[in-house]
Amino acid sequence: MKITFKIWRQKNSDSKGTLKTYDVDGLTEDMSFLEALDHLNEQLVLKNEEVIAYEYDCREGICGQCGVFINGRAHGPHDHMTTCQLHMRSFKDGDTIVVEPWRAKSFPIIKDLIVDRSAFDRIIEEGAYISSKTGTAPESNAIPIPKAKADKAMDAAACIGCGACVATCKNSSAALFTSAKINHLNSLPQGKAEEHERVEAMTWQMKEEGFGSCTFTGACEVECPEAISITNIAEMNARKLKAKLLG
Amino acid sequence: MALNFLFYRKSLIALTGLFLCVFLVVHLSANAILLLPNDIASELYNSYSHTLRENPLITVVAYVLYISIVLHAVVALLITLHNRKAKPQKYIMDKSQQNSSWYSKNMGILGTLILIFIIIHLANFWARIKLGIGEEVLLDKNGYKDVFSVTYELFQNIWFVLFYSILAIPLAFHLYHGLKSGFKTLGFYHKKGLRILAKVSLIYAIIMGVGFGIIPIVVYFK
Ligand code: HEM
Ligand code: SF4
Ligand code: FES
Repeated sequence: MKITFKIWRQKNSDSKGTLKTYDVDGLTEDMSFLEALDHLNEQLVLKNEEVIAYEYDCREGICGQCGVFINGRAHGPHDHMTTCQLHMRSFKDGDTIVVEPWRAKSFPIIKDLIVDRSAFDRIIEEGAYISSKTGTAPESNAIPIPKAKADKAMDAAACIGCGACVATCKNSSAALFTSAKINHLNSLPQGKAEEHERVEAMTWQMKEEGFGSCTFTGACEVECPEAISITNIAEMNARKLKAKLLG
Repeated sequence: MALNFLFYRKSLIALTGLFLCVFLVVHLSANAILLLPNDIASELYNSYSHTLRENPLITVVAYVLYISIVLHAVVALLITLHNRKAKPQKYIMDKSQQNSSWYSKNMGILGTLILIFIIIHLANFWARIKLGIGEEVLLDKNGYKDVFSVTYELFQNIWFVLFYSILAIPLAFHLYHGLKSGFKTLGFYHKKGLRILAKVSLIYAIIMGVGFGIIPIVVYFK
């Protein structure tokens, strides 16, 4: 199949970027979206042009590295899917596909489609861990955790830190990501001891990083590959209030 | 660190917004009197209005109301500007209509329309009745200020009828999203509760939109 790609090219964080058009032939429907970009890059190498920079690692939807904005949506036209899980069969022969990097003040563009998501790391550093020494793995039933709680924590822990929530949010709010990290730990007994400090420190860092505030448009939970529910944000707000009153 | 205005300002929008939502219920219920036949409506409306003006508790609530409107609008403006700055470069291709509603993304614009409405609305009634600016308000046969006639005359002007009725539409959309969002901002996260809240918000917004929208038209054709 034949596709016209319009891809954001930007030399570095200081330069001004622009969309460049590439007509690409020889694609097949069973190629993944990243394989289509690989195919394009191979052609650029042969033509001695600079290849397009984009990120990936696992190519199976678990590492969260591959996020780009495809045809006006985070990770492409489907809900709840990473870019690496998107395949060319989702497009028609002759389509034009616009590819842009995540856009947010707190995610500066490094090059082409790669953005700097270290703001997420700094939020994590503020408390997405427990500070006690855990030693070797304890007996699995030593700490009883009801099934419903374990499931809830697991659902939140599924966040892969891809940044689609920030990318798609009109306010570039990191509330879905931050709430997933907070609720994951705060709903488990191991996380309880530091629950109030965690909420305050992590939400504070989120603000310091320059992310906007959540206005519940709901775009994030639609684009999130892990379908993290937006109710996590409401729960984080409740925890924040609780920390303020009791913490 | 905990006491930072910026950190909690979103709750301020939600609190003032929800208070305004409660006020609107009371306000619409009172205005529904205008739907009754003119002679009954006139007496009821004027005596109700008189009772409100004489009640010291209502005077306090009225000040809370003014402060809420100003706080809500000012903080909403600050947040909207801050949120815009968080995304300095927009997407060249944007299909966000596939993942979120237009009204949830344009609360600031809807709110600004409501603010324009509120200013004109206060100039029409509050300024004339409470501040005595403009044409004097006459007394009815019970010796109460004839607020009914002020309303009735205003809505003989088709332009005011259109203005009031059309602006009930952005009001309804702002309320629909605002009610749902406000509870979540304040930390209500019960899943089933939120599903009920979404339905309640829709019904509330329809009642407010249709209610406020239809009264001027009914009065015009009476
Ligand atoms: C009758 C008057 C009004 C009522 C009843 C009302 C109600 C509400 C409620 C309940 C919220 C939810 C708060 C939250 O999301 O946490 C809200 C949000 C908001 N309101 Fe209002 N509002 C009114 C007027 C205004 C005015 C005059 C503005 C002027 C700019 C405005 C702008 C906003 C904005 C920007 C938001 C936050 C956006 C969002 O949550 O998506 N509102 N409003
Ligand atoms: S919450 Fe979802 S969209 Fe946001 S970073 Fe985590 S996995 Fe990605
Ligand atoms: S490359 Fe790992 S999630 Fe896509």
